[in-house]
Amino acid sequence: MHYANSYLERPVVGDPHVDSDVGRLEVLNCMLNTGSDIYQGACKKRGSTLKEEYKNASGTCYMDPRDMAKLGVKNWDHVLVKTDYGEVVVSAARSRDAPHEGTVFICKGPWANTITSHETYCCSDPTYKGIHATVEKTDREVLLMADLMRWVYKKYVDEEDDDVVENMESLGERPFYNGRKWEELENHEL
Amino acid sequence: MSYEPPVTDYDYIVENCTCAFCGCNCDDLDFLVKDNHVVAVRHACRLGASKVMEDLDQRLMVPMVRNEEGVLTETDWDTALDTAAEYIANSIRPVFYGWSETSTECMKEGLELGEYIGAVLDNQATICHGPSLQAMQNAGYPIQTLGEVKNRADVVVYSGSNAMNSHPRHLARWAVYPRGYFRQRGRFDRTVVTMDPKFSDTAKCSDMWIGFEQNGDYGFYNAIRAVIKGKKLQSESVSGIPAEDIYELVDVMKNAEFGVLFFGLGLTHTLGKQRNIDIAIKMVQDLNAMSKWGLTPMRGHFNVNGFNIFMAFETGWAFGVDFCRGWGRYMLGETNTIDLLVRKEPDCFMVVAADPGAHFPNGANQHLADIPVIQVDIHWGPSTELADVVLPGSFISVECAGTSYRMDGVPIYMKKAIDKPETCRDDEWIIRELKERVMKLREETNVAEKYVPNPIMDLKRLEKEE
Amino acid sequence: MEYILKNGIVYDPQNEINGETMDIFIKDDQIAESVSDDAKVIDVSNKIVMPAGVDVHAHVAGPKLVLGRLYRPEDSRMGVSQKTKIERAEAGFSIPCCPTTGYRYSRMGYGTVCEAAMPPLEAKHTHEEIATIPNIDINPVTLFGNNWFCMEYAREGRIEEMAAYIAAMLRVSKGYGVKIVNPCGSEAWGWGQNVHGYDDKAPYFDVTSRQLVVALAKANEMLGLPHSIHIHPNDLGHPGNYPTTVETLKSIKEIKKSTKKAAKIRDQTVHNTHLQFHAYDGTSWKDASSGADKVADFINHNDYVTGDVGQVTFDETTTMTADAPMEYDLFQISGLKWANKDIECETAAGIIPCIYSPKTPVGTLQWAIGLELFLLVDNPWQICMSTDHPNAGPFIRYPRIISWLMSAPRRMEMIENGEVHKWSHKRTGLAGLDREYDFYEIATITRAAPAKIHGFPDRGALTPGYKADIAVYDVNPNDFDPSRNPEMVERIFTSAAYTIKDGQILVKDGDLVATKPSHVIWTDVKGWEREEAQVLNEMMPFFTQYYSVKWENYQVHDHFLSNPIKVEVPAK
Repeated sequence: MHYANSYLERPVVGDPHVDSDVGRLEVLNCMLNTGSDIYQGACKKRGSTLKEEYKNASGTCYMDPRDMAKLGVKNWDHVLVKTDYGEVVVSAARSRDAPHEGTVFICKGPWANTITSHETYCCSDPTYKGIHATVEKTDREVLLMADLMRWVYKKYVDEEDDDVVENMESLGERPFYNGRKWEELENHEL
Repeated sequence: MSYEPPVTDYDYIVENCTCAFCGCNCDDLDFLVKDNHVVAVRHACRLGASKVMEDLDQRLMVPMVRNEEGVLTETDWDTALDTAAEYIANSIRPVFYGWSETSTECMKEGLELGEYIGAVLDNQATICHGPSLQAMQNAGYPIQTLGEVKNRADVVVYSGSNAMNSHPRHLARWAVYPRGYFRQRGRFDRTVVTMDPKFSDTAKCSDMWIGFEQNGDYGFYNAIRAVIKGKKLQSESVSGIPAEDIYELVDVMKNAEFGVLFFGLGLTHTLGKQRNIDIAIKMVQDLNAMSKWGLTPMRGHFNVNGFNIFMAFETGWAFGVDFCRGWGRYMLGETNTIDLLVRKEPDCFMVVAADPGAHFPNGANQHLADIPVIQVDIHWGPSTELADVVLPGSFISVECAGTSYRMDGVPIYMKKAIDKPETCRDDEWIIRELKERVMKLREETNVAEKYVPNPIMDLKRLEKEE
Repeated sequence: MEYILKNGIVYDPQNEINGETMDIFIKDDQIAESVSDDAKVIDVSNKIVMPAGVDVHAHVAGPKLVLGRLYRPEDSRMGVSQKTKIERAEAGFSIPCCPTTGYRYSRMGYGTVCEAAMPPLEAKHTHEEIATIPNIDINPVTLFGNNWFCMEYAREGRIEEMAAYIAAMLRVSKGYGVKIVNPCGSEAWGWGQNVHGYDDKAPYFDVTSRQLVVALAKANEMLGLPHSIHIHPNDLGHPGNYPTTVETLKSIKEIKKSTKKAAKIRDQTVHNTHLQFHAYDGTSWKDASSGADKVADFINHNDYVTGDVGQVTFDETTTMTADAPMEYDLFQISGLKWANKDIECETAAGIIPCIYSPKTPVGTLQWAIGLELFLLVDNPWQICMSTDHPNAGPFIRYPRIISWLMSAPRRMEMIENGEVHKWSHKRTGLAGLDREYDFYEIATITRAAPAKIHGFPDRGALTPGYKADIAVYDVNPNDFDPSRNPEMVERIFTSAAYTIKDGQILVKDGDLVATKPSHVIWTDVKGWEREEAQVLNEMMPFFTQYYSVKWENYQVHDHFLSNPIKVEVPAK
């Protein structure tokens, strides 16, 4: 059957090439904004949250190309973003809305929420925008959604050590039924 | 994205379906159906189409319960519902969160259960437009339907809202491009202003972009109000915007025949929170002294407004209503989900058609790792990774009919186009089943022996002398 | 189930029963001539028996109510009480939530309420709320007074097309009748303006309010709807507005009442709602005074007019009306939080909290004008009880208003001891009025007249075959002087000894003992199908282009109707 589809492996981003200040900074101090964009929205509401696509749509830090140059990162390199509320590894990519030097944008989703502020200041709504953050280059992998949830919340693993959980076998990109991976199910019948 | 040929292989078309994505509730969608699947959608935006043409890999088909090893195990409906009902019946501080992606018919069942057991009922407004609701309670709420915007508006302002990404057809159907009764030239008859620190996709198709600095919302609106009232600005720039630009903007706004302010999460999620909206509302009220202005919050989910409206007419309050004492209590920042979770109060959490796993901050979600979580949803998502019981619902507006309310409060009856998967159930049915099972397990909580009128009713002095 | 209400003292103005001791028989959901021996006897000796109350005009369900509740949580908190085995938790004072609305009306002995403003675009919302209100039947009237199509029909004098359009829209919105609010004024509000007087035009629409109202009245009579046009005239709340009111009523004079069956019950061709807000003399609030005598005089000489009062009750309330420009005027005066809602091609609405204090001149003037109207209109069939809930006060204050009407000494006491501001007697003639209502007249203005005005063929009286909607009040009128006991009057009407709805006992001794789902009452015009199809066909391109929903989604589907009672009107 032919389905019209809106799948997209990763969002389309521009060339970040900038010559000046390359590699000048180890750590970038910046302002973090989170929110929705169309790639994230489409992928999330389609339900493809376990997939690589969601990781690329939601687990990506959109940066000003000059900031990327300063850190010496290219599109889809991995960066570690830290705030007072946590840290997370995401991909870096050139922002479509640049220039906005000193501000980075991560789409809402489990990655962003690992580091956003839960402070509501008594008005019900957490502070998702305007959070002070640092960004640095890293070799660590960007986790898939299921792995990230396991790493952050550890609800169903008997392990406290972050490093150990981070390096456990991946839960994969498909639902995980009865300990059997989706791919192992015959005809996907339950 | 590469070119895709039009879909020609379908059995029939269902016209005038409603999009169950954002608060635009576009009701002009055509679904192309083949073998009881929607194979293509006409008229929808990228977001709407992607939601309707769901990812079947991740569709929740069978009820599941976590086993002792922490692995989700398929089970039958009875077992899953009983397990969930027991969690709810045994809790003393349950929170029922979500509801924005289901119908008001389903909410009705949920509210009955919540009132019976003494739960907190809350929806996604708590993490999006909660501050807007709080602000309207402070300052007022001059709004209009989207058709008014189409027919009359000549100045349209988007503030802290990137409609091109989150409500893609908003510009095309109502606010910017369409030809309205008094705006026969469409886009050319309107001035579009975007206020956003980012040069967003919406800003890119606007006539003016006001890129005030991050967290500068309040100061910026304050300056606009001052200028509207004829004051001169004392500093050369406010919130990063040069004074001349503010004068120019105010000129445009004052001379509008019919202006509309659409605001989004850019205002509610930054530091000023409800105060940003307060002052934006007051600005709109000021403008009404010399022009005609209205506003509309850009509601995110297709029925997030519906839940607020539903709760207001059923209980008197919009969201975050706490029934634990046998009457409704509503205190923003106390009886709302994030605050409750951060305070680690809830001991049972039911998620209906929502995804806290994806959208709550870490600090709130941590508590979900410690308590039983019941999920009623259609897709395996981040919340499934935290769920102890998973109840697969059906897809409102595609597989199941129901009522929703658009961002401007216009009710839309979303019809059903195809049948749901055999093993799934309608949300309404699931919640009703849960309610009935909980009622069997536990007596109603906090019931007064006798009705006691509230003193404000002023009936006391009329009481019979016994 | 069968009941005999034994030995009650019956007030049933429609059947001209004035305080006779008699038995009332109930069989299932109707009043009967007789019942079998199995009937349960309820002894109501020395108690008043009346038909259940009918509220001629109130705002209880719909989008602007919800807007009010959304933005006034303080009001919801004001009326909170704990749930019991029978009723859900209550909330709200001036704009109670839906379940609370039903409970409170029931406790007062009411059975039917007219929801006085339903915009077609959001009619589904109104119906959702009606379905959530228990215990009372509701007939929503649909707004036509600023409808673009109606304005065009009126301009072109196409009365027949307008009638067909109304017939179609009543079916589409499942409405009961034709409501007109500030004709042309709410459309002008689309540009932040208002119309002034009866002969002003809406901007860009070459039509005056007079043309529009007259056309709507003609169309209404052409169809022979059970209710006449229900109008809230221009210039509400403006000092010096009484000539506009009188002009508006005068313009209907020549229009002949329909002779069709459904229209037979009523006598009027126009119902002017909340007259109190439309009976001001003077030129500004500085020299404002009562115009009640002029308005009442007009009504006394013209039997084609009925009205309700919109009595101010001295409470903190929430004003809400489709007269949006007026609400913005109030905002500029009081500065309280202002809400507004414009609805495309149809109407607008404004909301603002309001505190009517007996210490302030304006509030007191309004209070006194309301009472004057009650006392100056001679025929109680022409004037009904209302507070225009929640605009002038919440409906739970009806018993207090009754106590004022039944007691001249109480009114004088309020004026003389300074309980109310001196404008009450300096700017009105209230102090000179010593008329007192009796129970028969009270029964008329709270049940018989409203039912007749709305053209209900099945309620508002204790006639066999009518619905068994009955209220019993615990007082013996033969040894009780309401004039000297105003507090007692208020108490007895606040909590009914029995409220019976559709033959089911809902209230006993002031307490709710049961709840039942409500009915929605709407008008289905028969015989105009061809004309309807024609006008719909003609309007469809316009609708598709300028409305924001599809026609399919515009209509109120049967799904939304709560136990509908369809009033069929064979219009041809």
